[in-house]
Amino acid sequence: MRIKNLFAAYAAAVMSTVLVASAPVVNAASNPVTYAMYGDVKDWDPSIAFSLEVMMLANVYEPLLWYNPPGSEQQFTPALATEWSVSDDGLTWTFKLREGVQFHDGEPFNAEAAKMAIERTKEMKKGAWYIWADVASIEAPDDSTLVIKTNDPQPIDLIASSQYAAYMYSPKAAEKGTDWFNEGNAAGTGPYKVGQWVKGQQIILDKNEDYWGGWTDKNFDRVILKPVTENATQVQMLKSGEAQFISLVPSDMVASLNNEANISSYAIPSWKNSQFLINTKKSPTDNKKFRQALTHLWDYDTVVNEIYAGHAEVGRGVVPATLWGHHDGIQAPGFDPEKAKHLLKESGVPESEWKVTMAYIGTSEEYKNSALLFQANAAEAGVEVELLPGEWGVIWDRAKNLETAPNLQSMTWWPTYPTPNDWMIGLFRTEEKALFNLSHYSNPEYDKILDAGVALEGSDRAKAIENYHKAQQILMDDAVAIFYADINTRIARSSDIKGLEVNPAYNAVFFHRIHR
Amino acid sequence: MWRYAAQRLMLLIGILFGVLVITFALSRILPGSPVEMMLGHRPTQEQIDEAKAQLGLNQSIPNQFIRYVSDVARGDFGISLRTGQPVLNDLADRMMATFELTTLALIIVVLLGVPLGVASAVRRNTMVDHCARGFSIAGAALPVFLIGMILQMIFYGGLKWFPLQARMDAAILYDYPFDRVTGLYLVDTLLAGNWIAFKSALSHLVLPVLTLTLAALAVVTRITRNTMVEALAEDFIRTARAYGLSRRIIYFRYALKATLIPMLTVIGLTYGFMLGGSVVVEYVFDWPGLGGYVVGAITKNDFPAVMGVTLLLATTYLVINLIVDLLYFVVDPRLRSS
Repeated sequence: MRIKNLFAAYAAAVMSTVLVASAPVVNAASNPVTYAMYGDVKDWDPSIAFSLEVMMLANVYEPLLWYNPPGSEQQFTPALATEWSVSDDGLTWTFKLREGVQFHDGEPFNAEAAKMAIERTKEMKKGAWYIWADVASIEAPDDSTLVIKTNDPQPIDLIASSQYAAYMYSPKAAEKGTDWFNEGNAAGTGPYKVGQWVKGQQIILDKNEDYWGGWTDKNFDRVILKPVTENATQVQMLKSGEAQFISLVPSDMVASLNNEANISSYAIPSWKNSQFLINTKKSPTDNKKFRQALTHLWDYDTVVNEIYAGHAEVGRGVVPATLWGHHDGIQAPGFDPEKAKHLLKESGVPESEWKVTMAYIGTSEEYKNSALLFQANAAEAGVEVELLPGEWGVIWDRAKNLETAPNLQSMTWWPTYPTPNDWMIGLFRTEEKALFNLSHYSNPEYDKILDAGVALEGSDRAKAIENYHKAQQILMDDAVAIFYADINTRIARSSDIKGLEVNPAYNAVFFHRIHR
Repeated sequence: MWRYAAQRLMLLIGILFGVLVITFALSRILPGSPVEMMLGHRPTQEQIDEAKAQLGLNQSIPNQFIRYVSDVARGDFGISLRTGQPVLNDLADRMMATFELTTLALIIVVLLGVPLGVASAVRRNTMVDHCARGFSIAGAALPVFLIGMILQMIFYGGLKWFPLQARMDAAILYDYPFDRVTGLYLVDTLLAGNWIAFKSALSHLVLPVLTLTLAALAVVTRITRNTMVEALAEDFIRTARAYGLSRRIIYFRYALKATLIPMLTVIGLTYGFMLGGSVVVEYVFDWPGLGGYVVGAITKNDFPAVMGVTLLLATTYLVINLIVDLLYFVVDPRLRSS
């Protein structure tokens, strides 16, 4: 009996030493910051990523240039390029590159590396590669000079500051390929490097000690990115201080969150806007007067103030008001049922044919309520609106084909890189086979003015803007869409965070630039 | 018994094939295209066409099915469109998280539900019975997600006793690494002697396990009670009483043993119920298991992932049923002789 007890005591002692002698801390961090993301990173390859990855990319990688938020004195902040210029014909761009910069894997950043990164993106034809589609050649005459030649004049400065497909990464990483990236690996030059990725659970970014931009004591030395799918959970994490930033802020909670002592919540302009594209080929909306009438049956103020809870501005044309190139002279058509009735009569469309179909993403409360309001207002003017809610993949496929397309189609748009032509080309330039031009709009004069503007964007931006203004006016006159809301981004964060500057050009927080 | 097992295995393969046909058909008949999912926010027409070709979506449906079945037979479940990773890897990563959650919950349900049921049966229509009934019915009546959120509000928001979500504290998961031997964090951290990580894993398990337990407790308690009541009315119990055997022996050796077969059935069913319930629990607690995975996959039209999870869950369910059926032979000698 005694021997048995002794044995038990011995076993217990061994067990407790094993338990108490835990693993030591391997990666100490003194000042972490946590961001609750909506979803995990999918594509780790910077040449392919085209979705929720910007939060990781913009902190781990750097492009040649960062685009500055609207209202800044300069349009760009030098990142991996320090100086840049364009030839008079607008076809040759020369970038002076930052010297002495290393990738996270120890490889030097130089012109050859930059050339490789851009060329790889272009050749892979994945994600947002098309921003480089017009590049004819890239040369690296010496380590710190990069020369990019294009077939037609292109705004390579803007393209080089894109939030997708413009990040510089190590040639060694490129050799290892997409599969290597997709194991959660990265090799950029940014202030943070990837410390750990546990699929679906967390991404840990660690301080890159050798960052060329340097460090201060105040900087966060660790960034924790956590996928949290439920907005109620995100809000609880923010309230308890477990997260400093959350990505899902319900529009009706902005005010109440802001009342919490330790939370700041507000909304600021983004470059995302929403519209209902009006089919210009399909009866009765192939009639311009009829289309104009529809734009007056939309109750702009109610939609923005009630349905979007004030976290949006009434749209003024196709380009968001805070992006360069926006035509300030454009006003929203305004809610005016009398004018609409007048236009309907003038249109010559017989009253029996005042019927339109309206397709939108059914899971969106905003679309749904806006469509219901429009349906009610249109009914008073004698226009019957048939609502066709659906899933994006389905309604998109139907809208592309003129046979199955609705008269009105929901669309929310934001630019790949900061240029107004992203909307004007993507949504309204003539397409042989419709992809996103779901108004099926085709106007040779518009195309001509737009193309001339695009060609001038790199070399003479002021002239380009003139053209863009004309093009925006044409779209308003032709009533190709109900441009109804420039959406604001809703922010909710710990109020002790300082230095946060939200930049609509990037769907990211730059953690190196903020502190407590 | 072995012949029976072999027959059942054959049947299992047939059922799985049926599941395959149904899920495949549903994924192709229901509207929605997975292609946009793969391509980010603004694909070109070329990228769309290429993706469709890559997924085989431009082939006829029977051809797509043959291709899928032959891939699955070779152990290739395709690439998840949402995560970009092979479905098989995703499933392997997440399966053990679900297993840890549901198994712990099942153990607690049995340890709690059976004694509670026995007590209710023995002390029928007393306070014990009423309380047990009230408690378990409340758990069954409330939707699982509501139980989860209420627990979160009380124990995270109010009392700050337990963490809100995830499997482990983010910093601990990074700073105190341990080898993933089994994929069960509790076991792995113990094997590594990593006490800090173990504590974190344990505290993160409490609320989701409790949620699942509360949701499933009612069934086990009620069935135990009812079968026990029936058993206690049997002649052999009366005989045992007449012999003057102690109550403990009567209840636990004779009566409880007679309830084993229905109990096994219920426990098997409960495990199936928990696999279903874990979908909601995992979503509420950001538990990185199969449940959260399938919700994400369904909302994003991620066909390969949905089919993979369905097959895995169906297999698990069928295997559990098989095990339960085989256990009948173990607990009931009468079946073995026939």
